[in-house]
Amino acid sequence: MLTPMNIEALDAGTTRRWGVLVVEDDSRARAFFEASVQRSPSLFWLGSAGTVNEALAWLAQTATIPDVLLVDLGMPDGSGLDVIREAVARFPGCEPLVISVFGDEENVLSSIEAGAVGYIHKDAAPEDIAQTIVEMKAGASPISPMIARRVLAKYRSLQLAGTPAAAAPEAAADNAAPSLLSAREHEVLTLIARGFSYAEIARLKGLSVHTVQTHIKNLYGKLAVHSKSEAVFEATRLGLLSHPG
Amino acid sequence: MAGAAPVGAATAETPIELRRGTVTTTIDGVTEKAPVELSYHWDRQHAGRPGFAEFDLPFTLAAEPATPWGIFIPRAGNVLEVRLDGALLQVYGDLARGNGADYAKAPIYVPVPGHLLKAGDNRLQIRIRADSARRAGLSGVTIGPATPVRTELFEGAYAWRFTGSVLLTAFSLIVGGIALALWLTQVDAGALGSGRRDGVYFWAALAEFCWALRVADGVIAEPPLPWPAWGVLMAACYAGWAASAMMFCYHLANWESSARMRWLRWPVASVVAGTVAASTMALYRQEPHWLTGWLAAEIVFIALFVGAFAVATVRQPNTGRLLVAAAALVTLGFGTRDWLVIRLSDAYGETTWVRYSSVFFGIALLLIVLQRFRAATIEARGWVATLAERVAQRERELASTFAALEQVARDQARTHERERILRDMHDGVGSHISSAIRQLQSGQASSDELLRTLRDSLDKLKLSIDSIHLPPGDVGALLAALRYRLEPRLAAAGILLEWAVDEVPTVKRLDAQGMRQLQFLLFEAISNVLQHAHAKSLRIEADAPAGAVHLRVIDDGQGFDASRVPRALLERAATVGVQLALESRPGRTVVQLGFG
Repeated sequence: MLTPMNIEALDAGTTRRWGVLVVEDDSRARAFFEASVQRSPSLFWLGSAGTVNEALAWLAQTATIPDVLLVDLGMPDGSGLDVIREAVARFPGCEPLVISVFGDEENVLSSIEAGAVGYIHKDAAPEDIAQTIVEMKAGASPISPMIARRVLAKYRSLQLAGTPAAAAPEAAADNAAPSLLSAREHEVLTLIARGFSYAEIARLKGLSVHTVQTHIKNLYGKLAVHSKSEAVFEATRLGLLSHPG
Repeated sequence: MAGAAPVGAATAETPIELRRGTVTTTIDGVTEKAPVELSYHWDRQHAGRPGFAEFDLPFTLAAEPATPWGIFIPRAGNVLEVRLDGALLQVYGDLARGNGADYAKAPIYVPVPGHLLKAGDNRLQIRIRADSARRAGLSGVTIGPATPVRTELFEGAYAWRFTGSVLLTAFSLIVGGIALALWLTQVDAGALGSGRRDGVYFWAALAEFCWALRVADGVIAEPPLPWPAWGVLMAACYAGWAASAMMFCYHLANWESSARMRWLRWPVASVVAGTVAASTMALYRQEPHWLTGWLAAEIVFIALFVGAFAVATVRQPNTGRLLVAAAALVTLGFGTRDWLVIRLSDAYGETTWVRYSSVFFGIALLLIVLQRFRAATIEARGWVATLAERVAQRERELASTFAALEQVARDQARTHERERILRDMHDGVGSHISSAIRQLQSGQASSDELLRTLRDSLDKLKLSIDSIHLPPGDVGALLAALRYRLEPRLAAAGILLEWAVDEVPTVKRLDAQGMRQLQFLLFEAISNVLQHAHAKSLRIEADAPAGAVHLRVIDDGQGFDASRVPRALLERAATVGVQLALESRPGRTVVQLGFG
């Protein structure tokens, strides 16, 4: 029986702790992440995998739902994206973070579309790593100006192309029909692309930092769902899926 | 007298052929009377002198005819009047005027009013005015019941002479029209770009038009020109037809491209010129032998020409040439016969045979013209196909050249990108790692210094990667990425960052390399603040007050000697074409980059 470890309010005054699984082929990096997790009172170590297959096997037979998944994309036997997809499909509550040296646009965007909710830099300080995980569980989502610009450009081109997402069959995989950016999300994203920090945006727009973070996190969800419904739309168009109804 | 004796009494319903009687002629005021046996060829009798003649043709009827009668005159002219027993039946033309109308061209039928004929002796009187060399005279006359005189004799002759001429004219006009249309439209674009028309079409058209006019003369009783001029024109048409037909053969035999045969054009031209001259002499001087003699010479020349053409045809036969050669031989034969009959013999009332052989010639001509047109069309279609194929071929070549060029451009872009990355690695990561190694080896560097070197290295690498995706000229995006990468360092150094970046327009002159240089410039400026300034805050400003973008890095550190600008900064600024301005005093240092 699967039992989430992070049952709400175990005890009054007890801090919630999040189980972390690390998928990383570099043993020194694994050790570094383990040390970072062990040092944080909010996190606990579930284990680690050095290959994609090992990770998939771990996910298949675990008795504990991982709350957080740290995944390196470049694995010796495949792509970390497969692990992200599998984890999200199996445990909807699991939140994957990509380990990235550069936080470069291509990798981060494809991870987000696979279901990741953010990324951490490999060269971050140990306390920063734990901090990022905890903040992420609290609702934050890091996004770089470069990625914000890419997302804006993508939505602009979708709007111009008559939004295939909107034209997708209504009975797409789930009810979370992807909508385009809300006006507020668009505003926030534009400011991020211009280099403003969350705090500055909150001040400029009269919002709380938390609200700004929520906008970004919603955006991550939309990107993942959007990429899924795009796939469903494409599949339906190609006749791979029969039209329901 | 036998000539004046009435024809033996005929039964009332049989046509009577009137051949004998008397003729009274008046030439140059001299009148003579003589018995006559028709037909009467004026020119032959009077050597081309014009004059008048009155034919008195008696005949006897057994009884007064009960049915309508009529008179059939196969040929009489040039102008005439017909009387029967003193009563004027019909006048053709004006006897008071010479060289005008010519009624000898078509057969004549004159109905006889009832009760005019009586049993016993009757007299038919035909008075003519004869022009010189115009085939004036009178043929044998037939008088009898309208059936069969009108229905058989007259209508048969009329059909041959008049209707035949109309049909021949129409046929020639059609063939000529087709040939002319082809000559006008079928322009063979020569190698020099000058249009060249096919002579075969032109000469076919000219031959047929000349012939049409010549044959049409057979139905024109009152020509638009007075006689000798009209006669010269008709002779010229006849010669024009013959010469054009020869030129047609000349082109058909391809003689125009043979230097040995090209001279033939001159004698052919002289056929027309000579005919005009000879007919003028003959008609105006009223000396027919000029034309007769010239025509004989002409026939000899044409015979030689046709012979040469026939030989050429036998050597290189094809359907068209054989057809034309046959038609030419037949026409030559007919022409000779016509010359003998019309020009030499006393026969009167004969028509030319050439008018009929010319139909064969016209048909042959038409066939050749059409055949040639068809060949030209097929050839043209071939050309169009070839041209289309060539255009397609050229398009394919262009496409492949374009693809090759694109490939080259792609390769070049890739090479540039590779060079840029190598340069970045060399200037950035490579130099940082080697200085880190030196720091370690010397054993003098603190771990903080070593860490800074390595962090610099990684930051520069990240900036390099960011710059790959930076849109050229987008300074705002460049600043945002720079902040994102360097803010953790500033935070770690306890420096407060103020972000005063307005939305700025794209700087057009900044390409990918320019963006890299600008990134390095700003990185150096910020790095200097981090390492040396001991600043508490750093302010980044960007604005474009008058459309010109200005960037400023401002810190509140200790400052430095602004007159000693680091050389690397100056060089980079010069490369990008940016104005670098520095001002520094303790507590405020401004590095400004301006795109003016």
